[in-house]
Amino acid sequence: MRDLRVEKLAELIAGYSLGLREGQVFRVDGEESALPLISAIYRAALRRGALAYTHTRAAGLDEILLAEGTEEQLGHISPAEVFQTEQLDAWATLWSSSNTRALTRADPARRQTHLAAHYRIVNRRWERISAGELAWCGTLFPTQAHAQDAEMSLTQYEDFVYGACHVREEDDPIAHWEAVSETLTARARQLESVRELRIVGPDTDLRVGVEGRPWIPSEGKHNMPDGEIFTSPLETVTQGGIYFAFPSIFQGQEVENVRLRFEDGRVVHAEATSGEDYLRSLIGTDSGAAVLGEVAFGLNYEIDRFTRDILFDEKIGGTMHVALGGGFDEALTQNKSDLHWDLICDLRQEGEVYADGELVWKAGRFVTEPAVERV
Amino acid sequence: MSERLARLADVLVGYSTGVRPGDIVRIYGGRPTTPLARAVYRSVLRAGGFPTVELTVDETIEDLLAEGNDEQIGWVPPDLAWTLEHGDVMIVLDGPENTKHLSRVDPAKMAVRAKGREPYQAMYLERSNRGEFRWVLWGSPTNASAQDAGMSLEEFDALVHGAAFLDSDDPIAAWREFGEELERVGSFLETVEELRVVGEDTDLTFGVGGRTWIRADGHSNLPDGEVFTGPVEDSVEGTIRFTFPATIRGRVAEDVRLRFEDGEVVEASASTGGDFLREMVGMDDGARRAGEFAFGLNRAVTEYTGSLLLDEKIGGTVHLALGRSIPGTGGENGSALHWDMVCDLRQGGEVYADGQLVYRDGAFLESVLA
Repeated sequence: MRDLRVEKLAELIAGYSLGLREGQVFRVDGEESALPLISAIYRAALRRGALAYTHTRAAGLDEILLAEGTEEQLGHISPAEVFQTEQLDAWATLWSSSNTRALTRADPARRQTHLAAHYRIVNRRWERISAGELAWCGTLFPTQAHAQDAEMSLTQYEDFVYGACHVREEDDPIAHWEAVSETLTARARQLESVRELRIVGPDTDLRVGVEGRPWIPSEGKHNMPDGEIFTSPLETVTQGGIYFAFPSIFQGQEVENVRLRFEDGRVVHAEATSGEDYLRSLIGTDSGAAVLGEVAFGLNYEIDRFTRDILFDEKIGGTMHVALGGGFDEALTQNKSDLHWDLICDLRQEGEVYADGELVWKAGRFVTEPAVERV
Repeated sequence: MSERLARLADVLVGYSTGVRPGDIVRIYGGRPTTPLARAVYRSVLRAGGFPTVELTVDETIEDLLAEGNDEQIGWVPPDLAWTLEHGDVMIVLDGPENTKHLSRVDPAKMAVRAKGREPYQAMYLERSNRGEFRWVLWGSPTNASAQDAGMSLEEFDALVHGAAFLDSDDPIAAWREFGEELERVGSFLETVEELRVVGEDTDLTFGVGGRTWIRADGHSNLPDGEVFTGPVEDSVEGTIRFTFPATIRGRVAEDVRLRFEDGEVVEASASTGGDFLREMVGMDDGARRAGEFAFGLNRAVTEYTGSLLLDEKIGGTVHLALGRSIPGTGGENGSALHWDMVCDLRQGGEVYADGQLVYRDGAFLESVLA
């Protein structure tokens, strides 16, 4: 029996996130384990008249490549994939792992070679997205592996995921996300007059300069679920300390209780209760890796717990996150790095945020409603 | 990863498609073949190629035919188009989950899909003929195909592996040896101007002079074992009755009888599926002509299973295809259709080459191939 929530999620992505139209060339990608959602999105795309096709991956191929491939094979970029990256008008990516730790033991240098090749496609994709030539949305299909990371049963995890996407049986997803879009856009506009944010919380007192940087609402176009506003901070201004109570995960490896101290924009001290070496090696990736590329407010209050998946964790309502490494062109970043590592700071209990000295956020909520301009 | 899958993968990669360093290799696998797709992926890496895998899902095509308009149904997606135009190697692992999943689809929709794909079919067969593209189709045993064959999966699996010589000590050596036998049949047939096939309710004559007989020795199909050509288009004359049900696109016509005049079908009947048969024959001009005639020569395949890949290879049968001829044979017939139908000659069948008896009861006379 088809899960109505999967059908609603598919409609939401095809209609609201991607705005698929007749004749558009559209591909939906996912691993075999995501087939119910791949099929549902494919059908939704066909109903909209798109020239749709699917790319269904077999699990376990990257493990084989990382174990057996030559340097040339690891760094190879499929010319068919390059061709398709130019052909597509719309693209959906479904994440649905059958083992989120399958690559944890792979050789890091070989993995880096493979990732670098992969990122050349991803970067070209973002260029086309920024140029307005391509619509793209990434989402997750719940599997046992993701549920296990979130420490839930699959049934509980499905309820969590579909709740966060607002596609439960009684939900009106499109009305919901249109309202989210209005609220986030109004909030982003409000923040654009701010010069400095001061984030205060447990073991945290951090000043971040944001003057002249555009704030961008994440309103469910590129991610589903969504719900954050973000910018790229000024590169030389960040000052003070921040503590991350949630485990910080990068490529499947966890670092716990990270504490960072910044001076003049750069990390000058980094410690953790576990994974400290890994933390330091990531910060040492390159010069830009010790500088913030992102600061953001997580505003999806249907995401109320940590699940070890950044798609959800960075949007937990009442948190803020910062990313070490590369920033966003549309936020006028100057910081370049191969790293982009999101670290989440829980402000739901005691957190406060001041904008140019004025309290704007307390215990995980903005203190005033944004003025929403109804069109 | 099982030894057996690794061995099969090595035959597909090392022998059938002969993957070389630098080859761009596309692997298409039906969902039940995922473990084999992984084995083939690894084997291609070891051969120095650049593999990518696409799983093909029955439900996707069902959805397309149920929900799509003609433009969508006839459209060829850019991944497949790129592979057929520019790829070096394609390995298709067919593994049906339900061989009848398209039985209720409107044949007109199936025709729209076939027409859209026709230029790409023609292109990759041409590229293949020029040696620019190597491809193989492997028929993976699944419960669905075992069910059609009326046996258990284990029994059908043994049959298929036997037919592909995978249970021999050195499968690749076995295929090379069998290839020599096909070579003898092929070189004899290339000396012949006209063939006459005689069997129960069958007496069919056609010209093959100047045409090339392809020795199908495991390079494009696995299992394999036939020699085939394209008959001279306007020369086919007489009647033929096909022993086994003729299946295509999830549909079936049973006990098909065709009468040809001047190369064209003038009468087509079947005990069931007659309307479908006539619809297919009327699809386009080329659909009423024979695009292929072949001798099945694989003696490890002895019984009808309902899987065409196997049935057309049964040692002692011949088959004829209505529609598109295959580049490299000299055949010139174009059509969106290519429908193989098999005629069993093991019980009293005869073939005459330029008037002389050369084949009886399902085998060439020894004197002919000496």
